[in-house]
Amino acid sequence: MDFLTQQPLYVVLVTALMIWAGIAWYISRVDRRLAELEQRIKR
Amino acid sequence: MMGASRTAVFLPVMKYILMLGGLGLGLLLCFKPSLAARKPWWWRTLAIAAVVATTVLALWPPIGGSIADVVFEGRVNPIKQVPCYVVPDVASATTTDDGRTVMQTADARTPALRVTLTMHAPVAAAIRDAGAVPMIILMRRAESDLQFTADAVMAIDPPITLPYITALEERARIIFFHVPMSWIATIAYLLSMIFGIRYLRSRDMAHDDAVVATASVGTLFAVLATTTGSVWAKFNWGSFWNWDPRQTSIVLLLLIYAAFFLLRSAIDEPQRRARLSSVYAIVAFASVPFLMFVLPRMLTSLHPGGKGDAGGIGPLLSPQSDAINPTKQVLFALSLFAFTMVYGWLVNLRIRTLALQRHADHQPS
Repeated sequence: MDFLTQQPLYVVLVTALMIWAGIAWYISRVDRRLAELEQRIKR
Repeated sequence: MMGASRTAVFLPVMKYILMLGGLGLGLLLCFKPSLAARKPWWWRTLAIAAVVATTVLALWPPIGGSIADVVFEGRVNPIKQVPCYVVPDVASATTTDDGRTVMQTADARTPALRVTLTMHAPVAAAIRDAGAVPMIILMRRAESDLQFTADAVMAIDPPITLPYITALEERARIIFFHVPMSWIATIAYLLSMIFGIRYLRSRDMAHDDAVVATASVGTLFAVLATTTGSVWAKFNWGSFWNWDPRQTSIVLLLLIYAAFFLLRSAIDEPQRRARLSSVYAIVAFASVPFLMFVLPRMLTSLHPGGKGDAGGIGPLLSPQSDAINPTKQVLFALSLFAFTMVYGWLVNLRIRTLALQRHADHQPS
């Protein structure tokens, strides 16, 4: 806990990375689902 | 003398090459292999890697200023502490009668610049333990521009440091998020206008999809730029909203593009909707250069680059070599590239969704 209170920038870094991970997961999922629909239409 | 003048020309040129390179490469990859087809795996991986690298490099490296920064701040406020990137000469250490240690220290980026540093025993012990390596020390200006006080050792031999920017300090890190978002919103509206022209010439509905996709993701970036700017304003200027010319102009821009989406939602017939919204996208873009570049520079502003600003057009665009730091410039180019890739990916998803929607509308129910 001392580390986190003395180095608040690392908390910001970890939070920002977690938000980006969530966004990346969501976008990848939408991308994959769109690709599946596009394949289905092609067939 | 010749070397110094060459550096004075080379650094600003490199600065613009890096910025245009980051933005240009990102835009090129948005259109390659195709704006409307699924991006290949390496493209998606590159986009995620660029964003992660930008976030880590913007938030992780310590800020280390120069001795000139400590002098500048110390002349205004004698008790102001500035993290300074220096190389202490441990061998030169002597002890004064009152038990303090005096040490010669060189600026890590300008080794010829040497000053005297005075410190208490715990700080001296930390420096001696580290040895004569580059480190970031929290310093204050003492009696003169050559005498300083060391208050603490912040980081020892950091692999990367970010420059100290007066009046911004740690808050300067948001530059790598807020500014690219704002620039990309402007480029998005330009692309929307270009696709509007292409639609009017070809009447191809794929171009109408591109008009909507570029403008909608551009508006998302404009909203994010406004939000990050508000947070920055709160901690730098004291309130979330100041009706600064640049803040006012982005609100006007958002209202103009809100009307674009209202217009589209009000028309049911696809061809008519596409034709009118293409014309609107072209007309709306006419206001963008005025609102983003002209108006904020004509009026006095809290933002850099306003009327009467001694810093000229601001630390990011100014060709003055003292506003240039290679680490900052490379990182800024990387952040432009990363956010352009994110923009390209979101536009790609939006175009593909609109194409599928149109296909579904044409299917017999």
